[in-house]
Amino acid sequence: MKKLIAVLLSVLMLMMSVSALADIVICQNKVEITAAMEEFAKLYEAKTGVPVKVITGGGSSDYNTVLKAEMQSGREPDIWVIEGPTGYELWKDKIADQTGAEWTQYTAAAYMDGDKVVGFPVAVEGYGLAYNKDVLEKAGIDPATLTNYDAYAAAFEKLDSMKAELGLDMVVSMVAGTTTGMTWVTGLHNFNVYLTVGNQRNDTTYIDQVLEGKVDDARFHQYCQYVALLFKYSDPDMLINGTQDSQLAAFANGKAAFYHQGNWMDPALMQLNPSFEIAYAPHAFLHEDTDGILVNPPSWYVVNANGNKDEAIAFLNFLATSEEGADYMVNKAAMVPAFTNVTLTPSTPLSKSVMEWNAAGKTYDWQQYKLPDGFGMGTLGQIYELLASGVIDVDTFEVMMKDAIANIAK
Amino acid sequence: MSSKSKRKLTEALFLVPTLLAFVMVIIIPFLYGIYYSFTNWQGTGAATAWVGFDNYKAIFREPGFLHSFLVTLEFTVFNVISVNVVAFIISLLVTSEIRGRNVYRAGFFVPNLIGGIVLGLVWQFIFSNILPQIGAAIGSQLLSKSLISNKDTVMLTMVIVNAWQYAGYIMLIYVASIQGISKSVLEAAEVDGATYWTRITKIQIPLMANAFTISLFLTLTNSFKMYDVNVALTNGGPTALFMMKPVQASELLALNIYQTAFKYNNMAQGQAKAVIFFVVLTIFSIIQVSYNKSKEIEA
Repeated sequence: MKKLIAVLLSVLMLMMSVSALADIVICQNKVEITAAMEEFAKLYEAKTGVPVKVITGGGSSDYNTVLKAEMQSGREPDIWVIEGPTGYELWKDKIADQTGAEWTQYTAAAYMDGDKVVGFPVAVEGYGLAYNKDVLEKAGIDPATLTNYDAYAAAFEKLDSMKAELGLDMVVSMVAGTTTGMTWVTGLHNFNVYLTVGNQRNDTTYIDQVLEGKVDDARFHQYCQYVALLFKYSDPDMLINGTQDSQLAAFANGKAAFYHQGNWMDPALMQLNPSFEIAYAPHAFLHEDTDGILVNPPSWYVVNANGNKDEAIAFLNFLATSEEGADYMVNKAAMVPAFTNVTLTPSTPLSKSVMEWNAAGKTYDWQQYKLPDGFGMGTLGQIYELLASGVIDVDTFEVMMKDAIANIAK
Repeated sequence: MSSKSKRKLTEALFLVPTLLAFVMVIIIPFLYGIYYSFTNWQGTGAATAWVGFDNYKAIFREPGFLHSFLVTLEFTVFNVISVNVVAFIISLLVTSEIRGRNVYRAGFFVPNLIGGIVLGLVWQFIFSNILPQIGAAIGSQLLSKSLISNKDTVMLTMVIVNAWQYAGYIMLIYVASIQGISKSVLEAAEVDGATYWTRITKIQIPLMANAFTISLFLTLTNSFKMYDVNVALTNGGPTALFMMKPVQASELLALNIYQTAFKYNNMAQGQAKAVIFFVVLTIFSIIQVSYNKSKEIEA
């Protein structure tokens, strides 16, 4: 009988060895700011005694996959990132109401569910085609004229013919590979160009059509031509094999005139000390002029209602309202804060350019995250790669893209 | 209670901890998995409804899954052959009189100790960065581009890396088996004038049949379930055309299941794929083991 009791006891002890800790676990999606964020977490721990652990998924690994794995792991994150309605709907049951939290009075960009405040805007982010000002000047191209397809076609051709004297390896530094996990650049960010460029913010005409399986034929045809133009003047090897690092290195070392990435690459860009001025030109894919880059709070921090909720909200308050928080957001992580109380301005070129476009009111919305999970990065990303590797031509590309969109609901 | 039945009870009680662990981490999740494959479960605790065979029907309409299936079969065939041939040859090498055979033995085994993810990333660097440079230097068309980003050669890289990693492990099984063969049999054959080749094919291989059973079983299941090297080395890419639809050229079944569940957030369908995967793998393994068992002889 003693043996039986011993066995049962040991089983019980195994089951009870799970306990709660008063710490904060953050699961976030920006590889570029991991180091800055961990430093900020240490600072917070030193100040308040609350340990903060940062888990990162993103860049070449898939954030949503990492988050789901963390959620299944038994120690759910207290704060994690949602990238829009898809993420919100997915985790709705776990997300805490933050209405009335101190940070909410300083921003208009919080994620709302009706009247409830549920998401803390991580930053405002933007992307367009970043350009090397020196190279364009030497080639005699005024970036202000790059507001339609024809201007780009002419500029790309001119740069391509002057590659040798400008020291360029490629005109556009762009990536589209599935092996390197970069299909979010094409399937999400580039596809959003079709969805919103030229439209008022909050105009959901094209995303609504796509979600019903339809596209605007003329506009979509023009978009496909633009994709083909970008790929034509990109380096074929970079498109398929390029990683986030090699894509950046080509641009930062002056080997590419344009760079298809957003201002979240600033910290990595600064490490490479580019010796030239950089700013954004719009993704103007239509024959008509469209003058604006794509800017949005791309993601929001949400708090786990079942986790260490109060500690998590206190952390977010500190981030938004303290000087240390502002310093971290602007200087360390090179983000453009979504908070009105922050007066620091970014010193890094891409963020600065985003702030300028934003201040001029020339921005278009981000709606790519309204696509179903995996559709942009997976389904569409594969078709972009087929075009990039030359397996299909632009006409087949258009047909396959339409076909994929037509099957979106199935 | 008689002492015999008391003893039986004690023995049964000793089984309880292991049995409990086995039931909790294998049996219950497995049954749950089968149940979920018939629902629209999303994996987040949201409401779940019974959908019958819908998930299974959808799978067979999906070119990506069909393609993964074929690629996995292709990979399995080439991988089983290459791993076993390489392992057998190096096991002959390290059991011969060659100098430094113990060093070789350790050397061949070491890759097996490296985790699949690390190994995949290292080889990705070799295939994507080092080989193209060598290729460019010697002017080889094929090598000057990354073998991984070419849809026609990407499976070759998977086979090479896996043979490199796994052959050392299978080698150990063959070495043990070779050493178990009685020296007198081989000496008698030598005295009778049998050549080296005859000794291998007529004596060693038949006497090693049980080692082949184990090795083929291990490599077969290992190839079928290949995931870590796949995700780290190729991430399933690049994209290829299959039935006029875009598919991932090197996405093996395990990775396809994972992507369905986590990337497309289609947990229930991923689970249904996993059930099919389980059934197919079981059938293949049983056929292989029963075939090889029939070839084994006593010596």
